[in-house]
This record gives sequence, structure tokens and C-alpha cells, in this order.
Amino acid sequence: MATNAVSMRNSLSEAWLSLRFELLKHLKRRRLLILVALAVLLPLFPLISRPDTAVEFAGSSLNFISVLIVISAAMFAGDSVCGEFEKKTSLLLFPTPQNRSSIFAGKYLAALACTFLVVALWYIVLTLETGALYGWGEIPAEMWKSFMTAMLFSSAAVGVAFFVSSVLKRSISATILVFLVLMMIMPIAVMIMTLLESEPWFVVTYSSNLITTVLGTTSRLPMGPHGDIVQQFTPKLGTGIAVMATYAVACLAAGMAIAVRKED
Amino acid sequence: MEYAIRTENLARTYGKTFKALDGVSLQIKKGEVVGYVGPNGAGKTTTIKILTGLIRPTSGHAYVNGLDVAAKPRDALRSIGALIEVPGVYDYLTPHEMLTYFGRVYGMRRDVIDRRIKETLELVRLPDWEHKKAGSFSTGMLRRLAIAKAILHKPDILILDEPVLGLDPKGIIEIRGLIRQFSSEGMTVFLSSHLLSEVAEVCDSVVFLDRGKVVSTDSVEGIGQRMDHRVVTVKFLRPLSGADVERVKSIGLVKNVDVKNGTARLHYDGKPESSVQILKLLVSLDLDVVSFASEGVGLEDYYVSVMSDEKGVN
Repeated sequence: MATNAVSMRNSLSEAWLSLRFELLKHLKRRRLLILVALAVLLPLFPLISRPDTAVEFAGSSLNFISVLIVISAAMFAGDSVCGEFEKKTSLLLFPTPQNRSSIFAGKYLAALACTFLVVALWYIVLTLETGALYGWGEIPAEMWKSFMTAMLFSSAAVGVAFFVSSVLKRSISATILVFLVLMMIMPIAVMIMTLLESEPWFVVTYSSNLITTVLGTTSRLPMGPHGDIVQQFTPKLGTGIAVMATYAVACLAAGMAIAVRKED
Repeated sequence: MEYAIRTENLARTYGKTFKALDGVSLQIKKGEVVGYVGPNGAGKTTTIKILTGLIRPTSGHAYVNGLDVAAKPRDALRSIGALIEVPGVYDYLTPHEMLTYFGRVYGMRRDVIDRRIKETLELVRLPDWEHKKAGSFSTGMLRRLAIAKAILHKPDILILDEPVLGLDPKGIIEIRGLIRQFSSEGMTVFLSSHLLSEVAEVCDSVVFLDRGKVVSTDSVEGIGQRMDHRVVTVKFLRPLSGADVERVKSIGLVKNVDVKNGTARLHYDGKPESSVQILKLLVSLDLDVVSFASEGVGLEDYYVSVMSDEKGVN
């Protein structure tokens, strides 16, 4: 019992060390700086064509946040596992008195923390903008729900990136595949299923529409030669949360299982 | 006796048939400097990766200070410093940042880490580069930085895998000097190389590995004795005539003669007294001897002779 407690304390301490080291690396590689700059600047774009209401303003801004979440997940977690093997830094990192699972847990948490920071900054800028433009009382009451949903989607996206990084050998392949999966393959699957009148409830990018729909805005697909609007499905809050949480947990668990067994 | 490093029938198979290691048993005493020599693909790096917990053996056990590496990696790896192959470094970090992290991994206090960083960088002659990004370092500097990381926590055991690979002669001499220093400080050093000449310079004993099996183990002193001096090179004042060569061949102790210009290589039984007798007889034959020197079998020849022996001694 006491041995288990010591082992757990050691593992937590190692994961914390790994997390801090990863954050230092993200800072030094300027990735964090770039993503933070994007999180501050991108919410300013809706100012170009200012909508009539605060809800529409927030909705139009948050339409883009899932793109930034995917970029952030790919940048911070895309090379978290395969990068160590590809660049042979694993030969420095692993022959040390720490569990690999702790090292990778730290890496995952660092990627998650950076993505959360980016998302939080976006919402802070958006809230300030909305308050300044429409009045502080006009800030949508459901904004916090949207924020929590964005955090959950961040966990799922980072989980997917971590899993891909565990499976592939090259960082660049992992980063590109994360983009392809979350920004092309899944959205195309959603579109096809929508056209087939089948709700794509199990696709995580479909669930991410909750980020805007919880505000009371709609998620729409412009289709056809005249840009007709196809809008048949809106993700249900409970189902969407469950799907995103499942992706986050399943991808992390599978990625971790593969990562700790990975060899040169 | 508790060994610093011990392996029992270590085996590692890749796929269904390829045996990278086939029952390797090693026993390395504390404070010894042991060379691990074999051709490329012999299984040296595989052994080292198992010893450092990077990969698991298919069967057998690897112990470090009596601790099974696979069963208790955290405890076993605490006393090891390792330089494996050509490790990558985080080129956007400075040695100070990188070594600070590894110091914390080994549970060192902040003030101790700072002191050890200075000491180790001084030792590997990188003191002026502590706060410069590793991306601008040369190959030799990166290797020395990796060694600094390996010795940061003052390990009992240092495992070095091909530490001079890709280095220029100056870099090789520097690394050799460091290994001698670690050895003089009582560290156990396990040094793998495909160059026997490299390990013979710094090691007490050598384990020869070929195709995943230990084929021979010997002390460097023993290797020296085995490399019998069976040839003497004799330089004459004038080139030898055909008749002179026949006279040399007539010396009973000489088995064969190779002549080139004014130099002859005389093959004999290798005994020192025979060498003395041959010199006396040459002088008595009125051949003007300028120099007379025994010639040893090269390390490479010895290496080839050991590696061609497939008996195995596990």
C-alpha cells in the first residue's frame, strides 16, 4: 500500500516535470507565442462586418475557433511522441529513472494546457469585444457553455493528435494527418451523412458545432450551385459532450498504450 | 559478488527469426572499464538498449547493481549514465536548460544542479556554451554535451555506445581522455565499439560479440600477449642479392623471408631468445644490419581472427 503510494507520488512528480519541460520547449520553439498571437488577433476579424446582435457577433467569431483548436492540437501534440523517436532525443530522455507513461502524460497535459490557454484567450478577447461593442449586459449568457464545449473539443482534438503521434513515425506525417482527419476527412464525412439525411452524431467535429449552437446560433452548410443552405441536424448537448469526452479518453488511452511500448 | 552489470542469457528476437542477441551473459565488476567489441549488427547496441531500459529482452535478464532493469527500471537507471548511438538534442534549448531538466529527473537540488552543470560542462570543455542554443553546436560538441548529460548525476556506471563515431581525430582524443578520467574516478565504464584499437586504448578487458553471441572475453593485457611477435623486420645497409637471401634463409630459426629493397621480414617462432639468436647469426654472416625490430600482429588481424572463430563461450 505504502509502496503504491510512493510509486504514485513519483509518477505524478515525473509527469509534472515532463509537463514543465514540454511547456519550456513550446515556448522556446515559439509555437506557443504564434498560437497565442493567433488567439488574440483572429477574434478581431468579425469586426470587419459587424453583425446586428451580440449573439450573432459571438457566433460568427466562434465559427473559426475549432480551426484554431485543430491547429493548436496538431502543433502541440502532433510530434509529442513520434518527434522524440524521429529526432533520437528518446535516447537522451528514456534511459533515465522515470516511467515512460509519466513522460507521455506530461507531454499530453502540456499540449492540453497550451490549447486551453489559446482557447481561453480567444474567449477573453471575444468577451471584451462583445462588451465594448454591444454593452456589457449584452454578452450572451450561454458564453460559458460555449467555452466549456470548446475546452472539451480541445481535449478530444489533442487526444486525436496524441494518438496519431503515437502511431506514426514522422512528425510531419503526424501533423498533416491530424489536419486532414479533423479538418477534411471528418467534415466531409459529416457533409455526406447530412446529405444522406443521417445524423453524424458520432463524428467529433459534428459535436464541435455545439461551440456555436449553445449560443442559439445555427450551424449551416452552404451547398449546391446557388449556395443553398442545408441544415438538417444540430448536435444534442448531452450526446455531443459524451462523444467529445469519449474521443478524448479513448484516444489518450490508446495513444498512451502505444507510446509506452514504442521502440526505435 | 555483486556486479555493476550482469546479464543472464539475454536474448532479443526481431520478427520471428532474426536473433539480434542469442543468450548473452556478461559479468562486469564494479570499477572495471570493459570494451564491448563486434562488427556492425553484432548486437552491441541491442544489449545496451536492454541495459538502459529502452527495449525489453525477449528472454533473459539484465541487472544493474543487482537490480533487474526490466522489473525495476526506475531504481536501476538511477545509477546509470548513458550515451547511446548518436542521440539527438533539443536544438532550441541551451545546455543549461536541458541539463537542468535532467538534473531534476535525477532528483537533484537546484543548487547542486547549477554546480554540476558548471562542473560537467567544464569537464567536457563546453563552459562558454552553457547559455547558447545547442542548434549551433558541432558534432563533437553535441557528443560532449550528451556525455555531460550522462555524467551530470555522478553515476556509478557509464555506458557508452560508439562514443567516437563520426568524430575527427581531435574529438576522438578528447573523448578517450574523458573515459580515462572517469575510470580513474572509479566509475564502471562499459564501452561498445566496432574498433578494437579504440577500446584497447582505454579498457581493462574486452568482450567480443558476433552475430548476437559472445565469442571471446579477454583482458587487454592478455590480448597483447596473444598478439605474439612472430616477425622481425631487418633493414640492411645495401639491398640483398640473391645469394644474400639464400644465406638468410639458411638460418635454421627463420621459417620464411620476404625481401623488398634493403628490408627483409623474417618469420620465426616468436620466442625472444630466437630473435636474439637470429640477430647474432645475421651479424656473423657479415650482412650490414642497420635496424632490427620485432613486429606485432595488428589489432585488426587479431580482431578478425577472433571474429572468424564461431565457437561462442556463453
